[in-house]
Amino acid sequence: MPGLQVPLEHVLMMAAALFIAGLVGLMVRRNIIFILMSLEVMLNASALAFVAAGAHWGQADGQIIFMLILTVAAAEVSVGLGLVLLLQRRFKTLDMDNANRLRD
Amino acid sequence: MNLAAMQGLLPLLVLGLGAAVLMLQISIRRQLGWSYAITVATLLLGAAAMEPAMQVAPLQVTPLLRVDNLGLFFGSLFCLSGAVTAVISRDYLRSREGENEEYFLLLLLSTLGAVILAYSTHVAALLLGLELLSVALYALIAYPERGTLPLEAAIKYLVLSGAASATLLFGFALIYAALGSLEYAEIAVQISAGRAATSPALILMGAAMVFAGLGFKLSVVPFHMWTPDVYEGAPAPISGFLAGVSKGAVFIAVLRWFLESGFFQYSSLLAGITLLSIASILVGNLLALLQTNVKRILAYSSIAHLGYLLIVLVAAGVSPEPGLAVEAGGYYVVAYVITTLAAFSLLGLISRQSGDREYDQLSDLAGLFWKQPGLAALFTVALLSLAGIPLTAGFIGKFYLISAGVDAALWGLLAALVIGSAIGIFYYLRIIYTMTTVGEQANPGTTADMLVGSRLVVYLLIFAMLYLGIVPEPLMGYLRTIL
Amino acid sequence: MMESLFYMAGFVAFTATVLSLSRTNATHALIYLIISLLAVAVMFYLMGAPFAAALEIVVYAGAIMVLFVFVIMMLNLGQAGEQRERQWLAPRIWIVPTLLALILLVEMALAITQISGTTSGVEVTPKEVGLTLFGPYLLAVEIASMLLLAGLVGAYHLGRRSIDRSRQS
Repeated sequence: MPGLQVPLEHVLMMAAALFIAGLVGLMVRRNIIFILMSLEVMLNASALAFVAAGAHWGQADGQIIFMLILTVAAAEVSVGLGLVLLLQRRFKTLDMDNANRLRD
Repeated sequence: MNLAAMQGLLPLLVLGLGAAVLMLQISIRRQLGWSYAITVATLLLGAAAMEPAMQVAPLQVTPLLRVDNLGLFFGSLFCLSGAVTAVISRDYLRSREGENEEYFLLLLLSTLGAVILAYSTHVAALLLGLELLSVALYALIAYPERGTLPLEAAIKYLVLSGAASATLLFGFALIYAALGSLEYAEIAVQISAGRAATSPALILMGAAMVFAGLGFKLSVVPFHMWTPDVYEGAPAPISGFLAGVSKGAVFIAVLRWFLESGFFQYSSLLAGITLLSIASILVGNLLALLQTNVKRILAYSSIAHLGYLLIVLVAAGVSPEPGLAVEAGGYYVVAYVITTLAAFSLLGLISRQSGDREYDQLSDLAGLFWKQPGLAALFTVALLSLAGIPLTAGFIGKFYLISAGVDAALWGLLAALVIGSAIGIFYYLRIIYTMTTVGEQANPGTTADMLVGSRLVVYLLIFAMLYLGIVPEPLMGYLRTIL
Repeated sequence: MMESLFYMAGFVAFTATVLSLSRTNATHALIYLIISLLAVAVMFYLMGAPFAAALEIVVYAGAIMVLFVFVIMMLNLGQAGEQRERQWLAPRIWIVPTLLALILLVEMALAITQISGTTSGVEVTPKEVGLTLFGPYLLAVEIASMLLLAGLVGAYHLGRRSIDRSRQS
């Protein structure tokens, strides 16, 4: 199936909106699971922007960077969730603000 | 991929092979001594592999990596720093039982990431190098069973560093959308061909987002919040690795990106970097005055040092001949990495048997001069070098920076540098003074049973800091020939 | 027709993301997030990137999200967790971050409007992607394997420690 010709501007705006949604989530949420999800949303938004730009230039590079972002997301999440498990066992909470012994 | 390319990539191949061998060793039989030996041997071999690789340099190996003298030199510096971290960690982990073999595997992988960053000439290589460096570090920060602080530090670092990576990627996606290229050299060609002229704001937005992402990793103000917390929570040898190798590698990657893709042409970007630099110098030094934890003092001091280093970027962008600035940056990175490693090594060595808590309060250091003159001397030299006192590596580095700044007529930045250095002397001297007092506090561990490797590393670091400060010409000349 | 499908997918992706990040129940949030990822996959497909679309479903929605499901199940957050989450999400704490983020969004929008042109309309086939991946990007594949190794070893160590800990207690 041939690809669709949508204005690049619109796709990038969509990606920017998703990115910002993830950023708000990152700032507002205190539950570490939701923070990790926000991180995923931000990474996915960047991936969308790359695929759109790749489609604009008709190159495969955009999709390849997308695959690398998938790898990065997988590695980050696996370590992140490992930390979540430890945090839960130790503090019995997932609240980032409870983990605040590191202060001035 | 031909033989010349293989020869050029030899340092990376050695590190990759070492990681594979180490993994096999761990899966066959867990034995800490072997893991340690394989790690140190791999890192030293990786540093030595610079020699054969240099014979084919400069060589572009696929669009991703370039084997040139800059990359090779800093790659082997990072390998050696990784080896220093491994030696100190061995001593640090001795009293902390558990399955510590993977610690060395992660350290090796993290160093591999730093070396890849030094070679990167493509967005994909930058991304992967950065992530390899950080993902291994998340686990290393939380590695020891030592209370809750490391866990908090690791989570903080993971979340902020992940957000920084996403920001950086989005910035690169915008640049890719505007210019159609991911390779630094290609981006420069497109910019000079005037393709950027149709969407200047988009490119600037992209570059600003990339710089914000990298600024997080470099912890320049206002992206510095995580630094003191993470350095305090991480085990001392890993804090040293974070402050020295991770920041040094990211700085080299930034230097490459900035110079090779032609972004220094944008004066508004340079103005932004100038502001970040001044803010980092002032905030870092002023907040360091308020701390009572040595790791936090060193964290703020590293924020200030990265502020000094940003002067290099501005100077390279402003002056018509960036050679001097890059040279100064190279020298400063070498001096900074060695000095930072030395400072954190001391904290790692005195906290060998400290159990859950590390001896990182200022009061813990009281009387160190009388109890352990060797370690105290190491720390004193490192602090003097951080402060930029003559006869140490830090002095020559700062001197070099000032001459690069004068060359590019950056008076505002130079004023900040001088003021910052003056403030810095206070808190560095305060630590040295504390070490000479006779304290009532508990004795921070005995060091009579320090391992031979640690002793050797301590002497080598002292020697390197003094040698670079007293006889700087060989390294200066060397940097001039390779850059 | 196809255009409207694309914009609908975009709308679904954004709405589902916002809903996901404002939930109090982690499982519900996760399902919304999966919907958002599926919608993004539709966008990929329509833009002429079928391989990326497939990977988005298989790896992102399939594998990474399942990892989240496992952890949420293991933690067993339950009703009390939801109650606490609701307290944390008082409306007023959204105001300042949202305003700041909106300013950033407007800035990005202004920059993005400078770009003209459309997606090319040419499909970049999986074959092309594969040839490029194992051609110029061969080293990226190798380095990515090291990255996954680092993630694996790190997760193994941390996970094993948490299992040891739960046995002790």
